[in-house]
Amino acid sequence: MILPEIGEDGQHKLSKSKVLVIGAGGLGAAILPYLAAAGVGEIGIVDNDTIEISNLHRQVIYKSSAVGKSKAEEAKRMISELNPLVKVNALAEKLSGKNAISLFEKYDIIVDATDNISIKYLINDACLATNKPMVYGSIFRFQGQVSVFNYQNGPTYRCLYPDKNINALNCEDAGVIGISVGIIGMFQANEVLKMILGIGEVLSGKILVYNILNNEQQKYDFDKSDVQLISRESFEEKYNKFEVEEISFESILHEINKDSVLFLDVRNEEELPKISLKNQIQIPLQHLENEIEKLNKKQTIYIFCQSGIRSKIAVELLQKHQFKSVKSIAGGILAMKQLLATEINL
Amino acid sequence: MIEIKYFGAVAEKTKCEFEKLSFSEELSLQKLLQDLNEKYEFESLSFSVAVNQKIVSKSADYNLQISDIVALLPPFAGG
Repeated sequence: MILPEIGEDGQHKLSKSKVLVIGAGGLGAAILPYLAAAGVGEIGIVDNDTIEISNLHRQVIYKSSAVGKSKAEEAKRMISELNPLVKVNALAEKLSGKNAISLFEKYDIIVDATDNISIKYLINDACLATNKPMVYGSIFRFQGQVSVFNYQNGPTYRCLYPDKNINALNCEDAGVIGISVGIIGMFQANEVLKMILGIGEVLSGKILVYNILNNEQQKYDFDKSDVQLISRESFEEKYNKFEVEEISFESILHEINKDSVLFLDVRNEEELPKISLKNQIQIPLQHLENEIEKLNKKQTIYIFCQSGIRSKIAVELLQKHQFKSVKSIAGGILAMKQLLATEINL
Repeated sequence: MIEIKYFGAVAEKTKCEFEKLSFSEELSLQKLLQDLNEKYEFESLSFSVAVNQKIVSKSADYNLQISDIVALLPPFAGG
């Protein structure tokens, strides 16, 4: 308040602002206390996870006594203790195409503190559909990225990364130290405050890349690409109309020897376990679009991968290419193998 | 001589954060990316490409100039 750039007027702006933070993990743990302490009037927290002991080294707002509790609820408690004037809405749910739009509409700024690429695209698209800025932050080991998308109609995540990357690792898989998420989260909180206060230069159309090992940072400029526009209608179409159909392997077990159906394995060749069904073909997900002619658009295709995530992306891809009858097998090969084993035992 | 910077998962493949490359005659951005892909087998890794701190299309028709700095920027997912 003493800072002339903020002053009483700035404090008033802060108290009137509403910020939604998606993900109360490492980034969220850095962002949330600073937004609360700065006096942001209303803070929403979305996270359906519970606290695990392996989170504590980087998600520093949680105490070891809170292991097993809801992150959203615990984060809310921390904020209320820190600044009781903040209105906090905790939502222990997963963000989805169904709840994103109605949720985003209630806030001014959306902060992406997630560790999942698909959710980043969802947040981006919902921000476009509701015309909200998205404060992006992400980590790879000792490096972090920060940017603000869709700020005053500026470039978006899709302008920077047009294709969904399926191989980027999250923290649990890639490993991360607490400090790197802390630093990047702090950059994000800073962008939020700048937007609310109308000071400085917002990181729009630029991505900041920070390396904590050598303290090097670079900014890269990127333009808005006009092919990446998403309206409310196209959002609904994309996320809620063609909901990827999942099917349990059990319910199609009687079809495994039929000539009319094809089982498509979208894993990479080296992935185990192997399985051999009568009509089976392997096309790794990253080659699927190029090798799409190998498939018959009219055939019933059941797609599987290791655990049922890539197969959903494959279904989406094939649906885009006018395939009519494609379904993803829930739980992937792991679920299938289990069922096949019991079948054989019978 | 151009400089190429690698980030995130791309740098893990190249096992270095930057390298310098000299070339004779012309070298297009597309050809450079193709050569790097053959050398390091990026395969399914996706990344955006910047030339002199500006993200450009990977299929842009651009001939690299001496002292250009190219950067390969994959998306990060941790948080």
